[in-house]
Amino acid sequence: MLLYYFLGTVILSGLIFYIRRKAFTYSFAVIFVFLQLGLTAYGIINYRQTDLSFFSIDPLAILFLIILSILTIPTFIHSFIYINNNLKLNIDKNSAIYLSSIVIFITSMTGVYLANHLVVIWVFLELSTISASVSVYLKRNAEALEASWKYVFVSSISIAFVFIGILFLSISMQEANITDLSVKTLKEHAPELNTQWLKIAFVFIFTGLTAKMGLFPMYTAGIDAKDKAPSPVSALLSTALLNAGFVAFIRFYSIFSATSIKVWMNYIMILSGLLSVFVATVYMMKVKNYKRMYAYSSIEHAGLVIMAIAAGGIGIFAAIWHLVLHSFAKSALFYQTGQVFRAFHSKSISHHGNYFRINFAGAMVLVIGFLCITAIPPSGMFITEFFILKSFFEANMTWLIIVTLILLTFIIYSFSVSVFRLLYGDNKNITDFEKINPLESATQYVFLGIVIWLGFFPPQILLDLMKNVL
Amino acid sequence: MLIIVLAIISSLFYVGILNRTRSIVSGRKGPKILQPIYDILKLLKKGSVYSETTSIIFKIAPAVNFACVVMALLIIPFGSHKGIISFDNDFVLFAYILALGKFMSIISALDTGSSFEGMGAAREALYSMLVEPAFFILMGSFALASGDTSFYSIFNSIHLHSYISYLLSILAALVLLLIILVENSRVPVDDPRTHLELTMIHEVMILDNSGFDLGLILYTSILKFIIYGSLIINFFIDFSTPTLLTIVIFLAGQSLIAIIIGLIESFTARFRMNHNPQFIFAITSMAMILFFCILLLKGLYI
Amino acid sequence: MFIIIALIIFNITLLYISIAKRLNSYINLIAFQGFLLFVIAFYELSEIHIINLIFVLLETVIFKTFAIPYFLKKIIKKNKITREAEPFVSNFISLLIITTAIFISFVLATNLEANTEKVIYYSISISTVFTGLFLIMSRKKIITHIMGYIIIENGVFLLSLAVGNKMPMLVNTGILLDIFATILTLGIFVNKIGDVFKEVDVDNLESLKD
Repeated sequence: MLLYYFLGTVILSGLIFYIRRKAFTYSFAVIFVFLQLGLTAYGIINYRQTDLSFFSIDPLAILFLIILSILTIPTFIHSFIYINNNLKLNIDKNSAIYLSSIVIFITSMTGVYLANHLVVIWVFLELSTISASVSVYLKRNAEALEASWKYVFVSSISIAFVFIGILFLSISMQEANITDLSVKTLKEHAPELNTQWLKIAFVFIFTGLTAKMGLFPMYTAGIDAKDKAPSPVSALLSTALLNAGFVAFIRFYSIFSATSIKVWMNYIMILSGLLSVFVATVYMMKVKNYKRMYAYSSIEHAGLVIMAIAAGGIGIFAAIWHLVLHSFAKSALFYQTGQVFRAFHSKSISHHGNYFRINFAGAMVLVIGFLCITAIPPSGMFITEFFILKSFFEANMTWLIIVTLILLTFIIYSFSVSVFRLLYGDNKNITDFEKINPLESATQYVFLGIVIWLGFFPPQILLDLMKNVL
Repeated sequence: MLIIVLAIISSLFYVGILNRTRSIVSGRKGPKILQPIYDILKLLKKGSVYSETTSIIFKIAPAVNFACVVMALLIIPFGSHKGIISFDNDFVLFAYILALGKFMSIISALDTGSSFEGMGAAREALYSMLVEPAFFILMGSFALASGDTSFYSIFNSIHLHSYISYLLSILAALVLLLIILVENSRVPVDDPRTHLELTMIHEVMILDNSGFDLGLILYTSILKFIIYGSLIINFFIDFSTPTLLTIVIFLAGQSLIAIIIGLIESFTARFRMNHNPQFIFAITSMAMILFFCILLLKGLYI
Repeated sequence: MFIIIALIIFNITLLYISIAKRLNSYINLIAFQGFLLFVIAFYELSEIHIINLIFVLLETVIFKTFAIPYFLKKIIKKNKITREAEPFVSNFISLLIITTAIFISFVLATNLEANTEKVIYYSISISTVFTGLFLIMSRKKIITHIMGYIIIENGVFLLSLAVGNKMPMLVNTGILLDIFATILTLGIFVNKIGDVFKEVDVDNLESLKD
């Protein structure tokens, strides 16, 4: 099945690029969505099986694959809205490149989720970098070029770092006479590996993966890209790609945590997570642009998640659940930025105001999304953040709870200041704004509904999946 | 004693070959090979004129410098012959006896009170300071490799085992060649042919010397070439080489080094003054890389 | 044995890069590094399959030694980039930092590994990665950033050669990284950036900030 999936996506992306009739493009996109959903259904049916010898369907993979497949649908809906609104043309060359790169992008993230071999994970991460940078560069202006250049450059360095880490890991493997780089073999033989090499390998792999996860050292890679990309791509970058980074990281972590360097490793992860939350707080206080604010908010949540993974125990479960909920909440907010931008023709906070009058449905999305993302009940993220803090407490890190809560207070304050300015602020000098169809907000309501519903009534099967990720 | 005789013989034609190489490359016929020695002899016959502001230091400095260089020459071993002065860690004495000579020439330049000479002295001091670690790291790493600390035993135990040490010797020779260029103030660090005091290093320090003193200084600088050149040659001979062959290698090697320096002077331009420190420090860094490699290879190859 | 000499020369090229003033010297050094990698790969990868070996050797010669320098020169010509490297720090400081980096990587590698020949590999490849990162941080032009990235790739390739005999797959993956990332950065983006911005300089890339 996976072979057909990969072949199908490559063919579809080629067809989207070459055949630029609108009807054909729409139908190719629909076929791709069905292919993606079909793969997910296949994965659910063939749970815990191996395909193409490098891919296996384990709880972590299937969980995030389901989320990615759900995200695929609004991605295409909003991409088509975006293309029709911003370019007012039939499918031109740039948009065709954009759509086919999105197909490759989603495929590569699927590959990252399903791969069980370190080098295969790495190859798909590289593929996702390349395709994402192409899709960021849709508008063909200087700013988009700058954003995608920075993204591709920092990501290339980070991906080289991950490769160096894998090489160091393989050096320690040679000393233990292992030549198979699959996750399963490595997990079994992990205690035999030389810890000195493992430490340096972990430093390189972690630093490299932070570009994808949106954590402290290399978080800058994503910020500009999320700002300048079309809103559906921004949503994918800060949800599905962030998840892909975390999936890759958890694969590595599951190997490293079987060795004696686990405690040392957890310190580094907590340091990185805390610094990420701190950086996010500082920038959210001064940021002047909605998309950048959401991008920094992703960094904050990634920081919380990595700290929860480091705390261990219930923290890992909470971290995965948090990632799931964050995916839906953040993508809803990013889709909404597209509409806000069309209403005001600006992303700057000072140009906005009185969004309730202009687009009631969109404004409601913002209100609920704001509650969800800042973890205010009834948001499901309240529960996961509560669990995360509980895991800190169980790991005897009360100081971390205090610091995190102080930083989160600042984040909620700055978030609410800018959102309420958008919703109720004064905008007398803005006269001509576009009417926006309320139906466009439908997917966002669905997503935010999922966030609240999963918080209150999580299905047992989902909880089982999340408990078995490591 | 052999090395002293050989050093004197090669000092007769060394600068001559260097100048002849430069002339041939630039398409001229050039002066006679022995012309520099004639010049020095002419100067040695003359008396010296001393400025009224100078003290005794200015008068004794050339002689002390010459004595130091000759003493350094005595330390250098040659093939199966130990140096006349030879003991453990003698390369430290070698470096500092040369430094003493340099110190004398620096303070004698300061003694004249001339601003140009003071500037030249400052540059000379800076560059010597930067190049000194290179020499010590180089010799120290070979001392580490051989396990001995005197010149004689270092040079004799380098080549005993494998011919990777010859390749390392080539790299060492490269570093030493660069050290020669710095120590003797040749292109690309300094250009002895320039006549603008502002751009000079060594030449500007001897503006006030004349007659016998100047001749002594010029001959001292030729001897310095010979000393470093014989260090390079020592990397490629050892006690098993027949004496006659070592003499041939010595003379041929000195000529080859003179020709190489001549070629370097013909084909490169002098650096700008502010680029000199980084060039000199790069020599130290190269010596350091060599040091690490020898450190790692110790016990495996040597 | 040739490997060790080639590695030492490779390390010396890093020092030269840190004090080189012209973009042309950078390009020549990158080509020379590609050639050294060819020599090292030729002597090191004796145990892998012959077809794989030929692939690796072709990559080092054709891609690293000729293609990349050629494209770099072409880009410089096309975008009329001035020939100075324009570092933010003086060359002397660069040299000091690179020397320190080499020193640190030797100390690091000797602490990690007992086998001498491998230590030279690891330390030199780590210091190459450091040098590439330092070039990216300390030079002003985008083209020098790309050169820094290529130097990082050379370091990665060197490291993968150290484990290449037992796991040739990693060497091939490293080559994949080389080819994909270099074509993407060189071929597409620099040309586009040259078209959109007049001066190819990081000063142009500062419109996005908070």
